[in-house]
Amino acid sequence: MLKDLTSEKLIRLNIDAKDWEDAVRQAADALLQNGKIKSSYIEAIIKTAKEGGPYFVLTKHVALPHARPEAGAIESAIGIATLKEPVVFGNKENDPVKYLFCLSALDNESHINALADLTGLLERKKFYEFLDQAKDASEVMQYIKNL
Amino acid sequence: MEFKGLVACRAGVGSSLMLNIKLKQVISENKLPIKIEHGSLDAVAGFNGALIVTLSDVAKELEAKKLPQKIIGIDNIMNKVEILTKLNAFLAEAK
Repeated sequence: MLKDLTSEKLIRLNIDAKDWEDAVRQAADALLQNGKIKSSYIEAIIKTAKEGGPYFVLTKHVALPHARPEAGAIESAIGIATLKEPVVFGNKENDPVKYLFCLSALDNESHINALADLTGLLERKKFYEFLDQAKDASEVMQYIKNL
Repeated sequence: MEFKGLVACRAGVGSSLMLNIKLKQVISENKLPIKIEHGSLDAVAGFNGALIVTLSDVAKELEAKKLPQKIIGIDNIMNKVEILTKLNAFLAEAK
């Protein structure tokens, strides 16, 4: 479940980001600070995106930054970050990005239920409206626990 | 006839898993004759089905490799209409 892989500490609202790289670094920092990933994991995300484009922009205004498990994932986790001002990631169809869900995955299975929950949320217009007006991380966590 | 499709992305643990969820919804809702399996780009080399589904930027890269499979790139993975339209185009071509 999504509520098992995220926590208040992994939620950062209204980040001030100057560009896509800064946005990814700040969103991923919550996972780094809480021992979910090594710093090499963040570098792998940035490097892959610089080489091959922003492969983690999935739908309108949404990015799911992640790398391969062996790049430095320590524990499965999903962070939630919103940007004060959306930034361009270089994905014509879905730019600009405002919501980032940084994923740490150990394999291609153990987090699948959490990703299914997140997929369900990303289909709801109300979820984005909720994130836009949420005051703090505990409010977001409450919302996720009530799914 | 049922077609085999591979959903793949760069890492194989994020985007493609989500795309897999949406593809399976579209396929079952529309009863399309496609069976989907999931993997990273490493799985592409050993895959013997007719179809590869991935995100658009990865699709461009795969197209350059002149693989035997039809490559479908999805721009917006939450857009079921886009997914259905592209799968139907594949089926029409494959018949």
